[in-house]
Amino acid sequence: MATPKTPAPRRALVLGGNRIPFARAGGRYAHASNQDMLTAALDGLVARYGLQGERIGEVAAGAVLKHSRDFNLTREAVLGSALSAQTPAYDVQQACATGLETVVSLSNKIRLGQLESAISGGVDTTSDAPIAVSDRLRRALLDLSRAKNMQQKLAAAAKIRPKDLAPSTPRTSEPRTGLSMGEHQALTTAQWGITREAQDEVAYASHHRLAAAWEAGFFDDLVTPYRGQTIDGNLRADTSLEKLATLRPTFGLGLDTPATMTAGNSTPLTDGASTVLLGSDEWAAEHDLTPLAVVVDAEAGAVDFVHGEDGLLMAPAFAVPRLLARNGLTLDDFAYVEIHEAFASTVLTTLAAWESDEFGRARLGLPGAFGTVDRERLNVHGSSLAAGHPFAATGGRIVATISKELHLRKQRDGGTPRALVSVCAAGGLGLTAILEAA
Amino acid sequence: MTDTYLNLVNSGVTAKLAKQLGLPRPAPLRRYRPGQPLLDGPALVLGPGKDADAVASLLSSGWDVDVHRHAAPDARYAAVVLVLTEVTHPTDLSAPVLAAAATLRGLARGGRVVTVSRTAADDDAPALAAARQGVDGLLRSLAKELRGGATGNGIVLDAGVDVDAPSVVGALRFFLSTRSAFVDGQLLTVSSGAGALPDDWEHPLAGRVAVVTGAARGIGEAIASTLARDGATVVCVDVPSAGEQLATVANRVRGTALQLDVTTDDAGARILEHALARHGRIDVVVHNAGITRDKLLANMTPEKWDSVLAVNIAAQLRINEALLESGDFVHQPRIVSLASTSGIAGNRGQTNYAASKGGVIGMVRATAPLLAAFGGTANAVAPGFIETEMTARIPALTRQVARRLNSLQQGGQPVDVAETVAFLASPAAGGVVGRVLRVCGQNMVGQ
Amino acid sequence: MTDGAAAQVVDIERMPTMGSLYPVAGVRAATSRLRPASRELPATTLRTAGVVATAEHLTAYQHLLGESASDRLPAGFVHVLAFPLAFSVMVRPDFPLPVLGMVHVANRVTQHAPVTLGTPLDVTARARDLRAHRSGTQVDLVASVHADGELVWEGVSTYLAKGVRIAGDAPDDERAPFVAPVPTGEWRLGPDTGRRYAAVSGDRNPIHLSALGAKAFGFPRAIAHGMYTAARALADVGAARGDAFTWAVDFQAPVLLPSTVSVRVAADGDGFAFAGWDRRSGRPHLTGTVGPA
Repeated sequence: MATPKTPAPRRALVLGGNRIPFARAGGRYAHASNQDMLTAALDGLVARYGLQGERIGEVAAGAVLKHSRDFNLTREAVLGSALSAQTPAYDVQQACATGLETVVSLSNKIRLGQLESAISGGVDTTSDAPIAVSDRLRRALLDLSRAKNMQQKLAAAAKIRPKDLAPSTPRTSEPRTGLSMGEHQALTTAQWGITREAQDEVAYASHHRLAAAWEAGFFDDLVTPYRGQTIDGNLRADTSLEKLATLRPTFGLGLDTPATMTAGNSTPLTDGASTVLLGSDEWAAEHDLTPLAVVVDAEAGAVDFVHGEDGLLMAPAFAVPRLLARNGLTLDDFAYVEIHEAFASTVLTTLAAWESDEFGRARLGLPGAFGTVDRERLNVHGSSLAAGHPFAATGGRIVATISKELHLRKQRDGGTPRALVSVCAAGGLGLTAILEAA
Repeated sequence: MTDTYLNLVNSGVTAKLAKQLGLPRPAPLRRYRPGQPLLDGPALVLGPGKDADAVASLLSSGWDVDVHRHAAPDARYAAVVLVLTEVTHPTDLSAPVLAAAATLRGLARGGRVVTVSRTAADDDAPALAAARQGVDGLLRSLAKELRGGATGNGIVLDAGVDVDAPSVVGALRFFLSTRSAFVDGQLLTVSSGAGALPDDWEHPLAGRVAVVTGAARGIGEAIASTLARDGATVVCVDVPSAGEQLATVANRVRGTALQLDVTTDDAGARILEHALARHGRIDVVVHNAGITRDKLLANMTPEKWDSVLAVNIAAQLRINEALLESGDFVHQPRIVSLASTSGIAGNRGQTNYAASKGGVIGMVRATAPLLAAFGGTANAVAPGFIETEMTARIPALTRQVARRLNSLQQGGQPVDVAETVAFLASPAAGGVVGRVLRVCGQNMVGQ
Repeated sequence: MTDGAAAQVVDIERMPTMGSLYPVAGVRAATSRLRPASRELPATTLRTAGVVATAEHLTAYQHLLGESASDRLPAGFVHVLAFPLAFSVMVRPDFPLPVLGMVHVANRVTQHAPVTLGTPLDVTARARDLRAHRSGTQVDLVASVHADGELVWEGVSTYLAKGVRIAGDAPDDERAPFVAPVPTGEWRLGPDTGRRYAAVSGDRNPIHLSALGAKAFGFPRAIAHGMYTAARALADVGAARGDAFTWAVDFQAPVLLPSTVSVRVAADGDGFAFAGWDRRSGRPHLTGTVGPA
C-alpha cells in the first residue's frame, strides 16, 4: 500500500504583478476587448518575470462586464499570451471583488499544495461592454432557432416588434433595488453624515499620492504601457481642493440631506486589466523570484442592502472585524490599510462605522468602537479615485501595489509589516484580506 | 525599412536599365542564419611563413573550409586571407598582394578579403613600420574596390599577440562570416591573448547574462534578439513608456523586461539587482539607449544639449561605475557601447549627439583597463547609416544619398549592428580592448 | 336575495376570462343608468373548481414581477388566478355598484400555506361589507382558494365607487400624513408597464393600457395596476416572507406611466413594511406590510 504524501499547508506568496495603465472609458482602450487587455497584462507579467513558455499551475481571472462569447475569457487570454499553452485557466466573477477573490482562491490552492504557481487577474472594459438584445427579441430569436418548420418560424418571427430591436446595454444599477451604486452610496453617505469636504480630501489625497508614486517610478515594475497609454488616464496630478469643490453633485440629489457626491469624489468608468503572480516558496526559489508578501488570510462579507439594513458597500465594515478577530489582530497591527475607493465616501463610511461606539456594540457585538485608521496608513499610493476602477482589475492593482510596498518597508525598517485590503462590491458584497511582508 | 532602390536595381527590367545607365548597383547582402556554413566556397590563404600556415590549418581542420595556399586558375574564392604578419619591408607586400589581386575578379558574391597584420609601433624599424602601416592603406582601398556585396577587413595584432590568440581567431571568423555583412574597410586591433574560444560557435554566449538598454525597438531590439540567438539570457531595458514593445521583445527572446529610465541615479543599481536576483549573474552590458535632438549649434537649446548628453553618455558612465563598484561584474565582463560615425567624423546639426558619441569612444578606451583584471573588455560599435525608424524620418532624397555614401552602396540593417555587438560581447573577443568597430559599409566619411 | 340571506353557491364550470367579462361590464355601465341599482349585495358566492395554472403563464408572471421562476405560486399570482371570479361577481346584474370606474383602494391577502404549480385549486368569490365612505361607497371582494379541501389563500380586495352614496355614516379614516422615508430602491416603470402586467394578469382595463383609454376615465396617462406595484413590493421582500404570511397594501394614488417610484422595503417589527412614492413630490402611491400569518 502506498504511503500518502498529501502536502501540509504552507505559505502562499505574492511574487509580483503587472497591469496595464487604467484608461478612461472611451479613451485609448475604446476598441480593446477584455481578452485583448487581459492578454496584454499577462504578457507584461511574463516579460517582467521571464515566464515565457512556463506552465503556470493555474490562471484565474474575470470580468464584471463580460460578453457571452468570452465564456472562457481567461483561458483564451492564456492561449494568446507567451505562457505555455498547457497552463490551465478559469474565470471568476464576484463583481468588483473579482480580482481579490482570484488572489484569495489561488493562494489557498498554493497553501494546500495543489498549486506551485498561479496568476490571478481581472479585467474590465466599459468602452467595449457587451450589448445584449432585448429580452423579447432574445426569446423570439431563440424560439426561431428551435422552430422546426416554416410555420413555426413565421410564428416566432411575427412576435418580433420594432421596439424589440433596441439594444439593451448593461446597467450599473442593482437588479433588486433599481438604484445605481452611486445612489446607494449616497444613502449611506447621508446616513453617516459624511461631508463634502471630507470626501474631497480623500479624492485629493488619492490623486496626489498616486501621482507621487508614478513620479518616483514606483510603478515602473508594476505597470506595462498599452496602446500608447503610459500612465493611469484618470490621474489628475494638478487637482486641488478648490477645483474639487467646484464640481456639482451627481448622486443623492433626491434626498433631503445635501448632495455631496461629485464626479471628483466618485470613481469614473475605466478600462484596464491587472495580474498578480503567486507562488510557493519553493517555486519562487526555483525561479529566482523575490517574495514580496504573504497572503495571510481573507474574509468575505455581505449585507442586506435590499431591505435597507445596511449600505450597499458596507460589507467590509463587518468582514474586517471578523477577519481580524480570527487572526488575533487589531487595526493598530497594520502598517497599511487599503480600502478600495469606489467612492470617497465608501472609505469614510467604513471608517466611520469602525469608529462608532454604537455600531461596534449594536452591529459588531463588540464592547465599543472597532478602531481607527489614521490617514498616513490609508491608501498610501492612492487608490481607485485617482487610478480609476476597471471593476475586476482593481483587486490585482491593490494587491500588487501594496505587496511591493510591504517588501520595500521590510527592507527599509525590518520587522514584518502587514497590510489590510478591503474591497466592496455590488450586491452588498465585500472581500477583505491580510497580507504581510514576506 | 525597405530600400526600394536596392530592390529595383537588382530585379527584372529595372536591373537591366540600371546597368546600362551605370547607376550604382548595391548587392543584396547575405546575412547570418544559424546552421549556415562559414564559407560558401574555397578560401585562399596567402602569405609567407608559419602564421599563414597556422591560419590555413585553422580554416581547414578547425572550420572544415576548403583551403588553397596558391590560387588555382578559375577558382571562385569565397574568401581570400592575406596573412601579412611577417612582412618587414614594404616590398614584402608585393607577392601576396599581387597573388590576391589575380583572384579578385573571380571573388564570389559576398566574398571576403581579410588581412592579418601587425600594429606599426613607434619603436619599430622604419621599414617595418612602413610595411605594417601600409597594410592599413591597402585594405581600406581594396575594400572600396570590391563589388557584389564583398567586404574587406583587417585584423591587426599588437606586439606579443599570436595569430592563434582567441580574439584573432574570433575576429577572423567574424569577418569571414555573414555576421559581418555590413562591416567593411575596418581594421580591428587585437591587444592581447585574452579571451576564450567557444565550445559551440553557434552559441558563443551560452550561459551568459546580457543587459541591453533601449531594447524595445530598432537596433536595441535586434541586439537583444541576436544575443539571445547566440545563447545569452537577455535583460531587456527601456524607458517605462516603451514598456509594451519592450515586453513583446522580452517575450520573443525569452528574457526579462526591465522598465527603467537609464538616466535615473539608481539605474545601475537597479540593473544589477534585477540581473542578479533574476538570473544570478551579469556578464554583458550593451549601452544602446540613445536619443537625437538635432540642431545647429548656433540654435542649440540647453534642453536639447543636456538631454542628449544625459542619455547617450552620462547614463553610461554612471551605470559603468555601478557595475565596477558592485564586485559582481567580474566574469570576463563585456561592455559594448553604441557610438556613431557622427562621433568620429562629425555631422552637421549633431554637435550634441557627436559630443556624446565621441564621448563613448573615449569612455570605452578608458574603461577597458579597469576591467582588464577580470578578463573584461569595453568596446564601442559605431553604426553608419542603418535602416531604422529613426533614419526613416530623414527626408527621402537625403536618405537616398546617405544610403549610397559607402562602399556597399546601401544602408545597413539593425541586425548588422547587433552581430558586431554580439561578437564584441563574446568570450572570444577578450583581446579586443577599448576599440571602436564601425558598422557602416565603409562610409566615405571619417576613418 | 337580500343581504344577510344564506349564501347561495353558484358553480361556474370554467374560470371565466377577463376578456369575456369586460364587454359585460361595458354593457352594464351603459344600462345601469336606465334602471336604478339595488343598494344591496347579492348573497351569491361563485365557485370554480380545479383551477390549474400553466407553467408558461406562471413563469411570465414571475419574470415580470421579479420573482424567481419556481413551482411555488406567488401570492400575487394566485390573486391573478382568482380575480376573474371576483370580477364575475361584480359584473353580475345583481351587483349594486357600477364596476367600471371603481377604484381599487386596498388589498389584504393571507397566504396560509404554499401553493404549488399543478395543484388543482378551488376558487370561490363573493362580495361583502358594502359600506359608506366619505367619497362614495366601498365594498370588499373576498376570494378564497382551497387545495385538497384546505384553505391556502384568502384575498380581500377593497373597491371604492366614487360618488355613489348609500345610507350610513362614513367612518373617519384620516390617515397619518405620509412622510417619505429613506428609500431602499426605486422602480423605473416604462410606458408599457400596464400593458405588460395586463398580459400576465388578464386585467385589460383600458386605464392601464394607453393614455387614450386612461383619459376616458379622467387620467392624463395610463396608470400602473395597483396589484402590479403591490406584487413588486412583495417580490422585494423576497424569501424572508416565509411560507405563510399576510400581505396588506393600501393604494393612495395611482402611478402615472411612465414613472420612477421611490420605494422602501424594510424590516419592521416581526415583518416588513413597504412604501412607494413619487420621487419628486414625495406623494405616496402605496403603503403596506408583509408579516406573519
